[in-house]
Amino acid sequence: MAEATNQNPQGAIESTVVDWSSDQTVFKGVPWGKAMMWIFLLSDTFIFTCFLVSYMTIRMTTGAPWPEPSLVFGLTVFGMNVPLLLIAIMTFILITSSGTMALAVNMGYRGNKNGVFWLMLATALLGLSFVGMQAFEWSKLISEGIYAWENQMEAAPQFGSIFFMVTGFHGLHVSAGVAYLAIIAFRVRMGKYDKKGYDIVEITGLYWHFVDLVWVFIFAFFYLW
Amino acid sequence: MAQAEIPYQESMELSHPHSWWTKYWFSQDHKVIAVQYGITAIAVGLVALVLSDLMRIQIAFPEWEIMSPDFYYQAITMHGMIMVIYLLTAFLLGAFGNFCIPLMCGARDMAFPFVNMLSYHVYLLSVLILLVGYFVPGGPTGAGWTLYPPQTITAGTPGNEWGITTMLASLAVFIVAFTMGGLNYITTVLQARTRGMTLMRMPLTVWGIFMATFLGLLAFPALFVSAIMMLLDKWIGTSFFMPAIVSLGEHLEYSGGQPLLFQHLFWFFGHPEVYIVALPAFGVVSDIISVNARKNIFGYRLMVWALVAIGILSFIVWAHHMFVAGMHPFFGFFFATTTLIIAVPTAIKVYNWILTLWRANVRLTVPMLYALSFVLTFILGGITGLFLGNVIIDVPLSDTYFVVAHFHMVMGVAPILVIFGGIYHWYPKITGRMLNDRIGRVHFWITFLGTYIIYFPMHYLGFIGTPRRYFDNLGVSDFYPMSAHYLNDVITIVALVVGASQLLYIYNLVYSYFRGEKASPNPWGAASLEWCTPQTPPEHGNWGDTLPTVHRWAYDYSVPGHDKDFIAQNEPQRSPA
Amino acid sequence: MASQGQQHPIKVYFLVWFLLFVFSAGSYYVDIAGFEGMARWFLILVFMLLKAGFIVAVFMHMKWERPALILAILLPTLFLLVLMYLMAFEADYAYATRVLYFGADPNAVALPPVTH
Repeated sequence: MAEATNQNPQGAIESTVVDWSSDQTVFKGVPWGKAMMWIFLLSDTFIFTCFLVSYMTIRMTTGAPWPEPSLVFGLTVFGMNVPLLLIAIMTFILITSSGTMALAVNMGYRGNKNGVFWLMLATALLGLSFVGMQAFEWSKLISEGIYAWENQMEAAPQFGSIFFMVTGFHGLHVSAGVAYLAIIAFRVRMGKYDKKGYDIVEITGLYWHFVDLVWVFIFAFFYLW
Repeated sequence: MAQAEIPYQESMELSHPHSWWTKYWFSQDHKVIAVQYGITAIAVGLVALVLSDLMRIQIAFPEWEIMSPDFYYQAITMHGMIMVIYLLTAFLLGAFGNFCIPLMCGARDMAFPFVNMLSYHVYLLSVLILLVGYFVPGGPTGAGWTLYPPQTITAGTPGNEWGITTMLASLAVFIVAFTMGGLNYITTVLQARTRGMTLMRMPLTVWGIFMATFLGLLAFPALFVSAIMMLLDKWIGTSFFMPAIVSLGEHLEYSGGQPLLFQHLFWFFGHPEVYIVALPAFGVVSDIISVNARKNIFGYRLMVWALVAIGILSFIVWAHHMFVAGMHPFFGFFFATTTLIIAVPTAIKVYNWILTLWRANVRLTVPMLYALSFVLTFILGGITGLFLGNVIIDVPLSDTYFVVAHFHMVMGVAPILVIFGGIYHWYPKITGRMLNDRIGRVHFWITFLGTYIIYFPMHYLGFIGTPRRYFDNLGVSDFYPMSAHYLNDVITIVALVVGASQLLYIYNLVYSYFRGEKASPNPWGAASLEWCTPQTPPEHGNWGDTLPTVHRWAYDYSVPGHDKDFIAQNEPQRSPA
Repeated sequence: MASQGQQHPIKVYFLVWFLLFVFSAGSYYVDIAGFEGMARWFLILVFMLLKAGFIVAVFMHMKWERPALILAILLPTLFLLVLMYLMAFEADYAYATRVLYFGADPNAVALPPVTH
């Protein structure tokens, strides 16, 4: 069905021109909420990219040494220092939550209300555990003397500043997403969307996948670079 | 399937207000929200107007000692920030955007009325946080509206204790409000138009507001990010923008920050911001000129594409505000080139306005006077922009009154004239009454001639080297010819007159609301959709039982062989006789 | 309206899910194996873009959207590439001037000119 509505015989350019010059709606078959969420995410992309560009500029201009991420973010397990262990776990949790969210959207369009509820709840719980691990990671860094304004490693003070700011802003997004997911999940269970359809699950999903997407970039630029 | 789909608009549920509060305060009706935005913006704009007059008195008559240097710098900062963000952006997008988009696109309301309502209240909150700056210890920040670090944070700048915090917090809150409103405008334009309303049939007002909102959603994030980073620099001692610095003999706890980064982020927002203000003004002016010239707008498609081109180019010209900031020397060439390129679509728009007037049956109504004065002011302000866009001319002229004159002409006076004209144009549809013509004309001539007497001499002052932002010119201005001092006095006196005359407009708004002549549904004989509502003023839901169907563009004026001199957008095509 | 939504075989989701794990493990391996210099940066970027691409294309259903939406969302990000490119240019210059004047000491302070 979806394949039929969304695939079109023309090429990409022609189809774009036809859609943009058509009557009433530009994005054919896209509910208002979904259009709005996409545009919001575009705006949010600009926020995160401005953060990352600032990070790049500051790291390129500082004369002070920049710490080795795999040493800073290591975790000691059974007396062995495993670099990036916690981050790896966090990454896998977030990807898992993205997977459950994608399944929830799928269930929504199949009309499986229970499936949607439990999958969204699982996503929210995974998100919550991500935030918990981030809190653990922060407290561990702080206990090792890495603060937002300075650090005891003779490294550039901006290392802590930019790290706490960007991961904190991402963490806020995750927390907001957890609340958003929980609310929508319970409203689905209450049957608020039986008539309107389950577009809202997909819209929530867009937001959640975006949070995961941002983490992909943070993971690469903060922990691996 | 996609073609036959039922638009969401038909199944849209409107909120039904039950009490005074939900009807007038927490209203979800876009027309009420537009008026709320408008009143708040005008109120806070009056504060900025008073500040500017106080500054003018200080500049011309420093011997009166009416204010301290701190107060002067705080006034500069607040005046600039209020005018650019809280008046112009909020009015053009919040008020005109809210009122015009659903009516001109044939929608019942914005796509998300609840979010729209929240948008206004968050905006109100941001205005309150901004004004709280005057009541915190140390007063509001006096760093200039660009808020450049490190001087924004270091001791000696007025308001570095708390004022900078209220300012940045207010900006962040404003951005939240704008985002909520902006998502609504974009979604409504893209997804909620009525039958027959293709994008290329929309009035240019909607196009201008749409492009400006799009720019806003992509540009405000940079300001948001820099506001957060500066707040962190201020309060928890990070060094994003603060280099190692000695302030008042004391080595501050900062090291290695990059002040230029702030300037880049700020102007990555700040330059699109100029067009966020200008594009809606372009749109409104195009409509007013076309209606009152009784001719279709010349080159409609080119007008639309010029708007789009200006919007895109505005993202790659930002560092022309920073030619003397010490950035990469190659940037001067790049940004001067892009800046001059952006003059091309802008000039296209000006030519098209003038060609619309060519051999037209011009009616010099008050909105038309404002629109024509906009075109003139915009040309003059724009030409000085070409001067300043060239590095070699910018270097001697930067930070002089020439710059002050340039941006006040092009993005101060010009959009304000459009706001006056736009209010005048749509007031009958908003309230059902006409504004008083005589007061309108008196106010127009005072404002129009007055602003020219104010800003024209400033170009000259700039050429002879008067620095901008100086509290007191007495010590440094010994080399000025006496005529320059007299000019300064003249500017101030005229500024006071023009400032006071704005009360006439406010009086007109209030008086006409109660006593104005009753307006017919379409007093200007305009063809666009907002004049076709079943009631005037339109009730909640705008269109009664059925949505209108659009059959033509918005500019069918003086069509040969037609009995009226305009054809409304919802009038069906007649079969060719 | 449900029939109009994005409905796809569940198999695709599991496949992408699995791929995301593989790519994450891959970028993790880049760190453990100790790649250095260009190879490291190149691999990190490749894995990052692959992951991002799959999330956007499949999980966010962009692959199945019409080109009108895809282009409207993706084209504006070009502005960000311009910003990033120019800021990298600028940062290089700022670093060069710092080294020139301060000898790369981040705590060096520009002194006021000596007055006689």
